[in-house]
Amino acid sequence: MSRGISERTEKVRVVVLGGGTAGWMTAVGIAKLLPDAADVQLVESEDIGIVGVGEATLPHIRGFVEKLGIDEAAFMKATHATFKLGIDFRDFGRIGESYIHPFGSFGEELNGVGFHHYWLELQRHGLARPLGDYSLAVVAAQANRFRPPANDVSLASTYGYAYQFDATLFGPFMRDFGLSNGVTRHEGKVNEVERDGVDGNVTALMLEDGRRIEGDLFVDCSGFRSLLLGEKLEEEWEDWTHWLPCDRAAALPCTHATPDIRPYTTATAMPAGWRWQIPLQHRMGNGYVFSSAHISEEEACDAIVAAADGEPLTEPRILRFRPGRRRRSWSRNVIGVGLASGFLEPLESTSIYLAQMAITYLIELFPTDGKIDPRDRDEFNRLVDMEYDRVRDFLILHYHATTRDDSEFWNHVRTMTVPDSLETKLELWRKAGRIEKYSDGLFYDASWIAVYVGQGMLPERHDTRPALGNAQQLAKATERLREAISAEVAAMPQHDEYLRSEAARVAEVA
Amino acid sequence: MSSPREPCRRIVVVGDGQVGLVAAIALRQAMPASQVVLIGQQPNPASFADYAQTSLPSSNMLHDRIGLEESEIVLKAGGSYRLVTRYQGWGGLNHEGLLSYEETLDPALRTAFAREWGGTRQLGQSDLRQGSLAQVLADAGRFAPSPPGSPTLLSDVVYALRWNTQAYRNLLIERAKTLNVQYVQGTISAVEPGHDASIAAIVVNGQGRIEADLFIDCSGPVATLLASHGDFAMVDWSDTLPTRTVYIGKPTSPVIALEDRISLGEEGWLTQVAGRDGLHTILGTGEGVARDEALAALGAPAAAAVQLTQGRVAEPWLGNVIAIGDASARFEPIGPYNLDLAHRQIELLLEMLPGRQIEPLERAEYNRRSVMMMEAAHESLARHFVTPQASSVFGSRPVPGRVAEELDQFERRGRIPFREESPLSPQGRFALLLALGFKPGLPPTAQSADGGSEERARQEFAQRAQAAVEFAPPYAQWLASVTRQTPVSV
Repeated sequence: MSRGISERTEKVRVVVLGGGTAGWMTAVGIAKLLPDAADVQLVESEDIGIVGVGEATLPHIRGFVEKLGIDEAAFMKATHATFKLGIDFRDFGRIGESYIHPFGSFGEELNGVGFHHYWLELQRHGLARPLGDYSLAVVAAQANRFRPPANDVSLASTYGYAYQFDATLFGPFMRDFGLSNGVTRHEGKVNEVERDGVDGNVTALMLEDGRRIEGDLFVDCSGFRSLLLGEKLEEEWEDWTHWLPCDRAAALPCTHATPDIRPYTTATAMPAGWRWQIPLQHRMGNGYVFSSAHISEEEACDAIVAAADGEPLTEPRILRFRPGRRRRSWSRNVIGVGLASGFLEPLESTSIYLAQMAITYLIELFPTDGKIDPRDRDEFNRLVDMEYDRVRDFLILHYHATTRDDSEFWNHVRTMTVPDSLETKLELWRKAGRIEKYSDGLFYDASWIAVYVGQGMLPERHDTRPALGNAQQLAKATERLREAISAEVAAMPQHDEYLRSEAARVAEVA
Repeated sequence: MSSPREPCRRIVVVGDGQVGLVAAIALRQAMPASQVVLIGQQPNPASFADYAQTSLPSSNMLHDRIGLEESEIVLKAGGSYRLVTRYQGWGGLNHEGLLSYEETLDPALRTAFAREWGGTRQLGQSDLRQGSLAQVLADAGRFAPSPPGSPTLLSDVVYALRWNTQAYRNLLIERAKTLNVQYVQGTISAVEPGHDASIAAIVVNGQGRIEADLFIDCSGPVATLLASHGDFAMVDWSDTLPTRTVYIGKPTSPVIALEDRISLGEEGWLTQVAGRDGLHTILGTGEGVARDEALAALGAPAAAAVQLTQGRVAEPWLGNVIAIGDASARFEPIGPYNLDLAHRQIELLLEMLPGRQIEPLERAEYNRRSVMMMEAAHESLARHFVTPQASSVFGSRPVPGRVAEELDQFERRGRIPFREESPLSPQGRFALLLALGFKPGLPPTAQSADGGSEERARQEFAQRAQAAVEFAPPYAQWLASVTRQTPVSV
């Protein structure tokens, strides 16, 4: 078959620096999807630990795994993964209150009016149950039940799922997959970075033992250090600490305290941040994400040890980070993926998503002829910016929409000035119960509604149409929906049972 | 505790063309307790959305929503089906391309197509038809829509409807009457300002003063109400859209066809919409084309000639006035984008239906999205004029918005960047660029795509296409059979 005009025999030499989650995802993605266009080498050092961020993921990861031709079952087994229907947020809006942000919708739109307007109307008449009762994903999560969604337009299709997995096993799994799919691995530390004197492009990485790894394109997955993009190219850093003050995490893996395995992640607000509980097949991930301006590392470690339910499997481990991002993720011939490009704290499990999107965009905009076109670089940076900005605003909302005044930390985030883009969204919701609409990027209507309502931020006014009908009839109709959801959930297996029944396929649970 | 917005007591819709009627029906349906008053000031033929015989497939959903059934349009309003639009002459003298509307196309097929296209320039020779069943069926002249609720091999085929505008308007009037939309015949003689830069009332010649909380301006390019607002301003599109005169032909003999045509000639562009009530022709010319040359190129007796100043309003919602359709944007009717825009603006209005008290932020959000819609339509048209052939006819033009980036990505990578509020899906835009003669580049993954998966996709599509063609009745025969008992009087 003819190969068209852009045929090229010489492959683009891609060098990935860093063998963590982002590094191996990048290497595998490029090697698997562009085998004839790229030659992928990865440099990593066993002496450098990986952060292993993102034990919890978003549903998009399924697309990535599938696209690479990875078997879901093998992947889940290798990473001790569980299924995830959403995140349970506790004590964020007010101590003692909680809500689940589901991978799914609430109710159904009626006559073109969003369900939440009907719910607000029912609430006014004292006829509403909690909003989550009208979401299949929320009800299933609360009941610890799971079954994959139906592939049709029925009620059973109104949710999605992601995975919770052992991030320290995810990298190695991707490594094995990469090594058998054409990625060349170099063990060693980078001693020096060689650059072209004319255009400033990176030309090679010099390793400590003297090896020289040449490349056309360098993907910086060196984590927070950002060796190429940050240190060498000095790409400017945009700091978001003033909006997202958490800059440390104390991680503490524990045993399961109960036999149940929750099909969701739990995020519990703490005096200087929040703590996660991520159930895996074999253990419970725990950690305290905190602001070092408000408590010390020792205090945070003590707090997480005190709060964790199961038996600690290790000492608490401190991770340090800075919320923000490089102004440009692609500069010259260096592309930052993962923490080297930016970091938004793990509150909505967006780390792996952001790495995945960067890889997807890089593959779409890959310089197959070896020459980087500035237009592709600009397009890449535009897309990455869009992703970061949307996630950023949504994360800030979780802190800002609160009545908590029990600590310095919460006083700060409650009263801080938020980005204009978020302020506009907030006002639109407050005054009219409406969501600023977009179809690109992450977090749509249902996500915003979940957090607004879940954190007690109800609008002053809702749509006029739900009030036109009879409230009792509306209540009956929503009650029928709720019953249908309950029945659907009652027919689902328990999450741990499902994992066990599928054990041969996906699990190693006892 | 949240309370519902106090509803508008009365909404006035100005303009009883097909845009104003749909808006009035939709609002009345949404707000059964409010009065909806339609002011019967009929827009003139320069209001392209009001005289369009067709729209894009998304209008079918709005029809459903306002209770206007497809079968009614077919039986009572001369309705017919378009699967494709044939573009002629845009990519060179004998170049042809087809635009269809399908959302799903096997990526392997698209790659195979781009690859094949890279080698052979004549689109007509491609056996792949972009993997579009609509294109295969249009070629074969076979089609029948699937009955509601009973899927067939043709259910995935996306189609647009055409109609006779008078009969269609009569259907809408009937529907409006059933719903008790109030009707006031006459033209507006005065606009009475209220508080906060809003309108308190209008005065209709011989009918007196009418107060309302919300005014919907569907009066066409004159924008009777919006233009009376102190903050009214236009954004000019003359630089990027070259057409200055639009000649509208009288319908000639009926044509039964699954395709419409948009061609580029020496004088300008020519659209032909195949109607059961006749073939509708429109010619658009740039500066310096003599009238007699234009009339000759039109190929039909002229019914009207419209001098065009293209542009959009800066803000379509000012105070308590919302402009819809040609009252918000005037642009050349190459394809059904004028009516499509009006319909999507009506959908947006329904989504963001305000109460009696208008919140400035919801107005801003509505304007943000409505402006995106208008600019996306602007960009859809501008794509036509960046072709080398069109540049030689109309002169070369600056490229608005992100069209240059889109073209660049398409030509180098076969990639269409996502756009919010676009009239065409990314795949539709891919098909339009092909139809205009632009050559798609190969996506990076195509370099590594194995020929096997492309061949499989090709074979699967060929089988599907063959099954569909065998299943589908000859379109003309089918249409005659369903409409036999109900001749359309025009």
